[in-house]
Amino acid sequence: MIVRAFALALVAVVTLAAAPAPIDLTGQAWAGAKPVADAVVWVDVPGAPRSAHPAPAVLEQRDEQFTPRVLAIQVGTRVEFPNDDRVFHNVFSFHDGKRFDLGLYPVGTVKYVPFDQPGLSRIFCNIHPQMAAYVMAVDTPFFAVTDAGGQFVIHDLPSGSHPFHAWRPGGTTIDGTTTDGASELEVRWP
Amino acid sequence: MKSATFGLCAAVALTAGVHAQSLVAEADLTAGRSTDGASAGGVQARVLGPIGHGWRMTLEGTWAGTTNDDSDAFGAAFPYDGRFQPMETYVETNVRARGPLLAVKAGRYRVPFGISSRADHGYSGFVRAPLIRYGGNFALSNTALEAGGDVLLGRPSLSVETSVGTPVDAGDATRPHTVDLVVRTQAFYRSVIIGVSYLDTRPNPIGPFVDGRTRFGGVDARWMRGGIELRGEWIAGRPFDGVTTTGGYLDVIAHRMWMGPVTVVGRVERLDYDAGPFSMHPRRYTAGARIRVAQQLAIQVNVLHQPSGLADGRTVALDAGLTETIRF
Repeated sequence: MIVRAFALALVAVVTLAAAPAPIDLTGQAWAGAKPVADAVVWVDVPGAPRSAHPAPAVLEQRDEQFTPRVLAIQVGTRVEFPNDDRVFHNVFSFHDGKRFDLGLYPVGTVKYVPFDQPGLSRIFCNIHPQMAAYVMAVDTPFFAVTDAGGQFVIHDLPSGSHPFHAWRPGGTTIDGTTTDGASELEVRWP
Repeated sequence: MKSATFGLCAAVALTAGVHAQSLVAEADLTAGRSTDGASAGGVQARVLGPIGHGWRMTLEGTWAGTTNDDSDAFGAAFPYDGRFQPMETYVETNVRARGPLLAVKAGRYRVPFGISSRADHGYSGFVRAPLIRYGGNFALSNTALEAGGDVLLGRPSLSVETSVGTPVDAGDATRPHTVDLVVRTQAFYRSVIIGVSYLDTRPNPIGPFVDGRTRFGGVDARWMRGGIELRGEWIAGRPFDGVTTTGGYLDVIAHRMWMGPVTVVGRVERLDYDAGPFSMHPRRYTAGARIRVAQQLAIQVNVLHQPSGLADGRTVALDAGLTETIRF
């Protein structure tokens, strides 16, 4: 009995030790020869554990603009919309994705919207026509937004070959597959 | 004026060089025409953003002109007098932006009386300022500006804003140097925002009969739910000794989800200027729409009826304007 239990434990340890460790997937997004900032890259990993209650995300209204301009979140995330301007703002989304209208609210006030479906939401202010932002809700915890140089990092991605998707403002969504074992990914729009 | 213009340009160049990564520059270009004989064009440019240590700045300049100075078309938020001039140029900080509020502003800013933001009047779908907000009507000019300091204290639910400064107005109705006091209290609960304002200043010296102080009090309110906004102001006071100006407006602004890029607006307003034989009591009714043609391009169309007659004597006018907002 003792020998059998020991053997089972040994098998479990060996199996765990042999399992490939998750990787940090780094990469860069390009449109032709130019790096693309504010692109969203996400990787589908069916069955991967995910938080049932993701941490809230923030889309700030300051200096009559939304910050960040592109916000990527996991489905189920509650997005906070604080008004940090002395003027009123009226945040709304009437296009695809999550539809809402938060109405007028003054400085110091925060309103919330849960994004419970995947998809792109275009966010505007009805008072300041130059204000615009995007919220991309993805059904995976493995996503990133590219920085000013077009670079991104997706942390703790399980090893294997996975479908990935990428979107950028004004562009189409492109699809592909990551390579098993590769820790780098290049995303390129024609 | 030249020194102010040079100062504005220098400040823009200097700050843009120091904080080019985080400042935003934008411009609104407007062209329009009204059947009461006014063709108009204008540009407003501004630079805004953080300048360090929690402070932010706004620098704004405008040039706009019209072919009919007697018409108040297109003067919703900026003077259309054919001159380049600085508008709001200030620095501000929100010492505490969440929970308890303490916000400080210093520089040149719009008089914080009632519904006073340029965006409230300039981009909400109306092409003209309310009658009670038109300087030529011996009322509280929509282009009145203060040079001074402004402190907002309280909570989002209840705050008090106090401004002490001196007049530095844009447009035709300009007040002489004095020490101004403006106090505004604002309450916010769910969908309702209510404000009470008071202004004490000197009058626009349009003639030898103008004497004394200008004192106005006002109540403003906004309510919004489901894309329908109701807002209005009621302002009463004395522009100078011996006369009174009373009036207000009620706006309906509808932007329901199914309306997509279209915002429908309506306004009912009145003005009572009681000055003996020079009294005037115009009423005006406006219906219109703002259509967002593209993300930064909007058309505004207003039809208005003023039974007592507009600038050209007719009682009905059609205003149409096109505004392109460019962000650099």
